[in-house]
Amino acid sequence: MRIVIAEDDPLLREGLALLLRSESLDVVATAATPDGLLAAVDEHRPDVAIVDVRMPPTHTDEGIVAAVEARRRHPELAVLVLSAYVEQTFATDLLAGGASRLGYLLKERVGRVEEFLAALRRVADGGTAIDPEVVAQLLTRSRPDGRLERLSPRERDVLALMAQGLGNAALAERLFVTEGAVHKHIRSIFAKLDLAPADQADRRVTAVLHYLEHQRRRDGSS
Amino acid sequence: MSNHRQDVPGAERAEIREIVLHAARDTWTAVEQLVGALGTATVAVVVLLALVAGAASCVVGIGFVLLPVALRGMHAVADRERGRISRWGPELLTPGPLPVRPLQALGDPAVRRELRWLAGHATAGWLLALSGVFLPVLAVRDASFPLWWQLMPQGTAGASIGLWTVEDWLGVLPVTMMGIGWTAVLVGLTPRMARVLDRRGRRLLGPAPDADLSLRVAELTATRAAALDAHATELRRIERSLHDGTQNRVVAVTVLLGTARRMLSRDPAAADALLERAQTAAEEALAELRAVARGILPPVLADRGLSGALTGLAATCPVPCRIDVDASARCAASVEATAYFVVAEALTNVSRHSGAAQVTVTLRNRQGRLHVRVEDDGQGGAGEGGGSGLVGIRRRIEAHDGILTLTSPPGGPTTIEVELPCGS
Repeated sequence: MRIVIAEDDPLLREGLALLLRSESLDVVATAATPDGLLAAVDEHRPDVAIVDVRMPPTHTDEGIVAAVEARRRHPELAVLVLSAYVEQTFATDLLAGGASRLGYLLKERVGRVEEFLAALRRVADGGTAIDPEVVAQLLTRSRPDGRLERLSPRERDVLALMAQGLGNAALAERLFVTEGAVHKHIRSIFAKLDLAPADQADRRVTAVLHYLEHQRRRDGSS
Repeated sequence: MSNHRQDVPGAERAEIREIVLHAARDTWTAVEQLVGALGTATVAVVVLLALVAGAASCVVGIGFVLLPVALRGMHAVADRERGRISRWGPELLTPGPLPVRPLQALGDPAVRRELRWLAGHATAGWLLALSGVFLPVLAVRDASFPLWWQLMPQGTAGASIGLWTVEDWLGVLPVTMMGIGWTAVLVGLTPRMARVLDRRGRRLLGPAPDADLSLRVAELTATRAAALDAHATELRRIERSLHDGTQNRVVAVTVLLGTARRMLSRDPAAADALLERAQTAAEEALAELRAVARGILPPVLADRGLSGALTGLAATCPVPCRIDVDASARCAASVEATAYFVVAEALTNVSRHSGAAQVTVTLRNRQGRLHVRVEDDGQGGAGEGGGSGLVGIRRRIEAHDGILTLTSPPGGPTTIEVELPCGS
C-alpha cells in the first residue's frame, strides 16, 4: 500500500510515518501543506492519502478542501481524514461525493494501531471508515423527520458499527450475536429508514449517508 | 541654624497669604457669577409673572396671545443663562428652536425642564443672587465703619442691620465685628451659592440626561462589541493552541506508544527508543499546556498580585528593569491580566528592538484607574505595525475601555502609557 501523509505538525507527521513504516507500509511522501499534498498525490499516485483537517494557512478546513480536490483529480484515490474534533459539516462535505474509499477518524484513534490499520486497509480496499464519535453524534441529534427515532437501541448500535465500516461477521462478533441476528437488525433498519432493497452493500452506507445528506440539505437551506 | 528658624514663620506666612488670596479669588468669582445670575433672575421674575398671568388669563382668551410671547421670553432668558453659565465652565449648548405654542410646548421635555428652571430661578435663585450682591456691600460697609462713622450726621450712624445708633467708639466695635462676620459669611457662602445656581442651570438647561445616555449607550455598544470581539479572538487563540499544539503532542504520544507496543516483541531495543520519544513528546505536551494556561491567566497574578507578577517579569527581562509600584487596591482579574500582558509585551519589545540600557515600569492605581507606564532609554522608532504584539494588546485594552499611548520618536526614548478602569 502506497501512502501519502499530509500533516502540518512535524512530530505527528514523523510519528505517523514511523508507525506505518514499522508496519511495512510504503509511505511515499509526506506534506505539511494542502498544496504539498496535491503535488505529492499528483507525483506519486498513492493508494491512500492520510490528511489532517486543520492545516495552514488558516487552520480550519484546508485538509478537507484539499482532500476533496485530490479526489476530484484522482477518483480512485482513497482518503483517510484525521480530525482534531468531530465536525459534522466536514463529514458531509467529504461524503457528498460518495462514501467509498473514504475515512473520517478522530486523531486519537491512530494510537490504537490495530484498529487504525484496519480502518486504513478498509478505506484502501474501497470501504468506509467513519469514527464512532461521528456516528454517535449523528444518532444522538434528533432528526427532523424522526425516522431515526424509530430505531431501537440495538438497531442504533448496529447502525453505528455499520457506519464505521464493519461487515456483518465483525458486527456479530462485536455485539456477541449470530450473523443471522445481525441480518435481521439490518433489514429492520433499512425498513425503518425507508431504504428500498437495492444494492445490498450500498444500502449499508446509504443508511448513514441518508442522514448526512439530509442534514446537509437542511443546513444549506436554513 | 538661625536662618533656618527664621525660614519657618516665613514659609507659614506665605502659606497663609496663599490661602487668603485663594479665598479672595474664589469669593470674587462667585460674586461676579451671582451678579450675572441676578440679571437673568430678574428677567426670569418678569417672564414667570407673564407666564402665570398668561396661564390664568387663558380662561378669558387673552392667554392664548400672551402665553407664546411669555414662552418666547422664557427661551430667551434661558439662552442668556446658558451663555452666562458657559463662561464659568464647559459650554452649554442651546437646544435649538423650541416650540412656543402652549400645548406643543407643554409636551416638549426640554420646555418642561426650562419651566422648572424658570420657576426656581425666578424665586429662590433670585433671592440667592440678590444676597450675593448685598453680602459684599454689607461686609464692606460694616467692616469699614470705623473709617467713616464720624462723618455721618449725629444720630444716623449705625450698623447695616440693627436699629441702634452709634454714638461713641465703644459702639463702633460691634458694628466692625458684624462687618467681619459678614465677610466670613461672604467668603464661606457665596462660592456655594454660585455653585448651586450653576449646577441647577447645567442640570435643567443642559442636554437632557437621556440624550447623554444615548451617547453613552452608543459608546458602550461599541466597546462591548470590541470586548466580545477581543474575547472571541482570545478564545480562538486558546482553542487553536489546544487543538493544534497540545492535542497534536498527545496524539503523537499515543502514536509512539502504539508503535512501541507493536514493536515490543519484534525489536525491544527499537521499542525502548520509541518509548523514550513518547516520553519526550508527553513532556512537550505538558509544557505546551502550561503555556496555554499561562496565556489565559498567569497563575503568578493570583498568587502574588500584579506587583509580584511584574517583579517576576522584571527579573527575567534581559535589560535592567526597575519596577515602581504604588497600587495597593486590587483590580478586576481581567484588568490585572491585561496590565500584566502589556508590561510583558512591552518588555519583550524593549529587549528585542530598543537597544535600551535601562527600562522603568511604573504602576499606579488612582481613583479607580490603573496607570501603567513603561519607559526605556533606547533608540525609539517603535511602531505598531510589522507583526508587533502591540496590536493585540491595544485591542485588549480598548475592550476594557482603556487607553494606550505609544510615544517613540526616532532616537528615543520609547514610552508606552496605558490607563485602564479598574472595573471592580
